[in-house]
Amino acid sequence: MDPIVTCRGLSKTFGKGELAVHALRDIDLDIMPGEIATLAGPSGSGKTTLLNMIGALDEPTSGEVTVDGQPLGGLSRSQLSDLRLSKIGFVFQSYNLIPVLSARENIEFVLQLQGVSAAERHDRAMEAIKEVGLSGLEDRRPGKMSGGQQQRVAVARALVSRPAVVLADEPTANLDSKNALALVELMRSLNREHGTTFLIGTHDVRVLEQSMRHIEMLDGRIDRDARGSA
Amino acid sequence: MIDGLKTMLPLAWRNLWRNPRRTGITLIVVAIGLWSILFFSAFMNAWAKSSKETTLQLLLGSGQIHAEGYMDDPSIETLMDPPDRDLNSALDAPAVADWTTRVVVPGVVQSEYKTLPATIVGVDPAAEARISSIPGRITEGRYLDSSDDDSAVLGLHMVERLKTGLGRRVILMSQNAEGAMSEQSFDVVGIYDADKATEDLYVFTGRAASQRFLGLEGEIAQVVFVLQEETALEDAVAALAEAAPALDVRGWKDLNLFLASMDSYMGVFVHVWLSIVFALMAIGIVNTQLMAVFERTQEFGLLRALGMKPRRVLVMVTIENALLIGIGVLLGMVLAAVTIWSLSDGIDFSAFARAMEMVQTGEIIYLKYEPGAFILFPGLIWLLGILVTLWPALRASKCRPVEAMRRET
Repeated sequence: MDPIVTCRGLSKTFGKGELAVHALRDIDLDIMPGEIATLAGPSGSGKTTLLNMIGALDEPTSGEVTVDGQPLGGLSRSQLSDLRLSKIGFVFQSYNLIPVLSARENIEFVLQLQGVSAAERHDRAMEAIKEVGLSGLEDRRPGKMSGGQQQRVAVARALVSRPAVVLADEPTANLDSKNALALVELMRSLNREHGTTFLIGTHDVRVLEQSMRHIEMLDGRIDRDARGSA
Repeated sequence: MIDGLKTMLPLAWRNLWRNPRRTGITLIVVAIGLWSILFFSAFMNAWAKSSKETTLQLLLGSGQIHAEGYMDDPSIETLMDPPDRDLNSALDAPAVADWTTRVVVPGVVQSEYKTLPATIVGVDPAAEARISSIPGRITEGRYLDSSDDDSAVLGLHMVERLKTGLGRRVILMSQNAEGAMSEQSFDVVGIYDADKATEDLYVFTGRAASQRFLGLEGEIAQVVFVLQEETALEDAVAALAEAAPALDVRGWKDLNLFLASMDSYMGVFVHVWLSIVFALMAIGIVNTQLMAVFERTQEFGLLRALGMKPRRVLVMVTIENALLIGIGVLLGMVLAAVTIWSLSDGIDFSAFARAMEMVQTGEIIYLKYEPGAFILFPGLIWLLGILVTLWPALRASKCRPVEAMRRET
C-alpha cells in the first residue's frame, strides 16, 4: 500500500543569517492510509510547521511533500488551492467556522467550492451533521453553538469532501475534558467506519492515547516514531 | 458561473451586516454623496434654465436680426428696413413661434432733476407681449397701448434715480435721421420691475411713435424672434440668414456670450462637483473596506486554506463591495428623487429677489427629474466605487493562508 502522505528531506528555515530559525530539519515521513497519527512535542518543535507543509499552506525551504501521489513542489497557487480542496481536510484549534453561515452551510461551503450540486450538497452535509452528532443544530450559526459543537462542525466540514487526509492542529486545545474526549472518540469512529486518515498535532494526552502512531518531534526533527495498539 | 454567484451572493449579503455600523457609515457616505450630485445637478440645470429663460424672455428672444454693423455701432445710422417678403416668409415658418420689430437707439432721458443715458426702445406692444416679459413686469401704471402710443415706460430704478414717477413727464433725446438732435416730452405711464441693469438702461415707447420722434420712415433697428424649439436654433438662424443675406442674423448664443458660456459650462460644473464628491467618497469607502478586509484577514486565510482560489476571493469581496455601494446608490437615488419631488413646486427665492435679479434668474427655481442624470451618475458612482474597492479586494485575494492564519498556528 502506498503512503497517503510522503515527506522526503523536508526542511524549513525562517529568517536568514544569525536570525535563521530551523523549524524543520530533514524530515522523512510516510503516513499510511487509514492511520490516526499524532504529532507530539513541545512548543516550537515543528508540529504546526510540518502540518502546514503537508497541508500545502506553506512551502518548504528544501525537500518534497507528496499527498495522495501528487508532489506539491512546483504547483501554482491555484493548483495548490485545488489540491487542498480535493485531498486535504483541516481542523483548526479555534474551529475557524465562517460566522455568517449556519452549521450546515459551513459544511456545504467546501462542496460548493467543489461545484457539487445543491441537492447533493444538502444530502451530504446533513449526513455529515448526523455523523458528528449535531442533528437538529444544522441551522444554528457558530456564535450560537458551544466550542465542542463548533469543533464537531469543523470535523464534519473537513470530512464531507472525502479528503485523502485530515490534518488537525491542536483540535482539542480549546475544549473541556468532556468535549475533548467526545471529539477524540468521534475521530476514532470516523476512522474505523470510513478509513479516514488523520494526522493530528497535539499535546493532549487523551488524543495521544487514542492514536495508532505517535510521532515525537524535537527541535524540528522526528525524535521518535512509534506505532501503538489503540 | 451562476452556481458560483448563488454561493457568493448570500455570503456577501450576510458579510455586509457583520459590522452594521461600518456598513451603515459607508451607505450614508455613498447615499449622501450621490444625493448631493443628483440634487446639485437638478438644481444647477433648473437654475441655468431659469436664468436662460429669464434673459431670453426679457428682451433678447431666441435671436435677433440687425443691419450689418449695427452690433458694433448701434446707432440711427445702422438701422434697416422692415422685413421684406422673403424674410417675412422665413419668419412665418413653423419653427418660429413669434417675432416683432423694434427701434432701438441710444439717447438720454431727462427729468426735472437729472439726465441719464438710456436706450430708447420703440415697440409694438401687442407683439411685444408675446415675445418679452417686460409687459408683464409692470408694477405701477400700464404698459403701452399701441405702436402709436407716445408715452414712456421706465424701469423702477431709473425712476428712482430720475426722481420722477407715474404721471410725470420726462424728455427723451437722441440723434435723429437727419443727424440733428431730437427731443420730445413723454408721459411716464408705466414702471416696470426687472433686473437693475435693465431698469437703468431701457426706456420703452411705441414703435411708430419712436419713428416719428426720430424722423424715420419705417426703419427699424432689429427683428426679434422666438423659436418653437430651442434645439432648432442653428437651423432657424441659417434659414433666416439665407432669407436675408444682407442682414446680420444671430442666435442668442452669439448675442449674449456670458449666457452661452454658462449654458455650455453647466455640465462641466456638475462633473467637477461629481469628481470632488467622488474623491471624498472614494477615500471613505476605500478606508472602511480596507479596515473590513484587515479585520477579516484570518477568515480569508481560512477560505484560502479550505481551497478557495485567489480569484474567487477577489470575486467574493468585489460582490460584497458591489452590493454595499449598490445599496448606497439606491438609497441616494431615492433620497434625491424624494427631495426633487418635494421641491417640484419650486424653490422660492423671492426673499433674495434683488440677488436673483443680479444673476438674472427667476425668483422661483423649478427642479425637474432628469432621467439621464438618474442613470448616468448612479451608474458612474457604482462602477467607480467597485473600481476603487478592487484594491482592498485584491489585498484579500493575495493573502497567504499560513500568514493570514498565523494566530492559529
